[in-house]
Amino acid sequence: MATVSNWIDHLNKPAEEVGGSVYPGAGSSEFILVLLLIAVWIGWTVITSKSESDELNALSRKRHGANDHKSNITEW
Amino acid sequence: MTDQLGALTTIFTEFYYWTTVVLMFLIHVGFCMYEVGASRYKHHQHTLMKNTMLIPLVTVTWFLFGWWIYWAFPTGPGLAPSIMTESTGLVLGGGFGGNDLANPTNALMAINLNDHIMGVFWAAFLLFSWTAASIVSGAVIERITTFAFGVLAIAIGSVFWSIDASWGWHFDGWMLKILGYHDAYASGVIHAIAGGFALGVLMVLGPRIGKFSSSGEPRNIGPRNPWLVTIGLFLIYTGFWGFYAACNVPIYDLGPEYGMEGISFWTATNIYLTPTTLSGITMNFLMSLSGGLLAGYVIAKGDPFWTYSSGLAGIICASAGNDLYHPIQALIIGMIGVVIAYKLHYWVERKFKIDDAVGAVAVHGYAGFVGLVICGFVLNGYPSSGYSVGAMFDGTTYATINPLGQFIGAIIMFFVLGLIPGYIIAKVLNGMGKLRIPREVEIAGLDYEMMESAKEDEKAVSSATR
Repeated sequence: MATVSNWIDHLNKPAEEVGGSVYPGAGSSEFILVLLLIAVWIGWTVITSKSESDELNALSRKRHGANDHKSNITEW
Repeated sequence: MTDQLGALTTIFTEFYYWTTVVLMFLIHVGFCMYEVGASRYKHHQHTLMKNTMLIPLVTVTWFLFGWWIYWAFPTGPGLAPSIMTESTGLVLGGGFGGNDLANPTNALMAINLNDHIMGVFWAAFLLFSWTAASIVSGAVIERITTFAFGVLAIAIGSVFWSIDASWGWHFDGWMLKILGYHDAYASGVIHAIAGGFALGVLMVLGPRIGKFSSSGEPRNIGPRNPWLVTIGLFLIYTGFWGFYAACNVPIYDLGPEYGMEGISFWTATNIYLTPTTLSGITMNFLMSLSGGLLAGYVIAKGDPFWTYSSGLAGIICASAGNDLYHPIQALIIGMIGVVIAYKLHYWVERKFKIDDAVGAVAVHGYAGFVGLVICGFVLNGYPSSGYSVGAMFDGTTYATINPLGQFIGAIIMFFVLGLIPGYIIAKVLNGMGKLRIPREVEIAGLDYEMMESAKEDEKAVSSATR
């Protein structure tokens, strides 16, 4: 995966070759990384949406009053 | 970078934008503090989390498509030819800022030893995106679901503001060419659009329970922690220094850029690459802040919440033309914007039963709209772009700044790209039953379970240490 294995050798190359990408997998992994990011984003959204709905439904079933939370105020 | 002067210019520009990003982060810290201070105790933690999670959501989507949209849409598409490609279609590649560079799979969207600007410029724009989403966030506190807010934050932060920036905040934007649109520090492209978007969402979301009496009279649900609100707004002011600096290009030789043979003119420029100075806009920033505070103090009769917000509204109102205004003009414009925004806020609240919890629509939306319109009169006749001067590229000419163009621009920002998309997306989310939290939860408080759990923890700790 390493794009550069020796900085001295790398910097000794012609100027047009010294510049450019130096991250692991440069030139071959970008598309897969983007797909991975899309999967993380969508997956996170689905998971949190479901957990939020469950949490809201559970709380709404308890029908607390507008001031009930005051008995839960902690000292810390 | 092989010559020292070239390297110094590049590294200075890189560091300049990096500094603006750090400063602009304070805007977000300020919004978090401000919204928690404005929300009631039983909603604090969810309010904070909602605002915090917009950071990763907008960042990820800005990486995937928001930045690409900015570079792809300056021609409309189909409305005006690009000075880079002469095409009226989507800008898909080539030239300075060519859109292939903003493609998330491009090698420049990462550490690249040939490029020192893409990342910091991308980040500066991203911080504008967070700001746009945060503006909406404050208006909807205590009753929106985190899911719905996430969708709305992505819509305003990574899609609609990006489109408006491409149209009216890009040296190649069609609004400059056809309308003579000018908005140097984002009265419209950030503030009017985000305020309009928030208003569209509020129209569907409805007010907090108890905000209006049975006869329709609005009740004041004041800030719960005035100190947090105060510090939050002062941090937003501080972050706005970075915002203003980020709207400039710090060092640029305009002679060759404008095609002027043998002429070299090094200067800072605004986003349209027309000359201004960081020094001058600093004066205008402070004078418009002062104008806003002075007017806000009078019109709100010394109410701290509105006085601080008015300082911000003063800056926002003068921002469209603060690259060229005289400082006293900036002050007066800031004052006018505040009076109109304040009056409109209460008129809309009473007339349409809109519950804007932090006055975001007024401070950002109305003040931004008014600022654009005033700019059209005060800067009437100035060139909207340097590219209309001299022979440049294909000789495309740009309209000059004018009142009608600015008014149409304000309509586009507030209504076309702000209010209407906000209303439609909120309607869809509402239809799915995902927009608003259940009534029982709103009454009990979003943090009820967290608070109860913390109380049990406290009991357990107390008994263990007895």
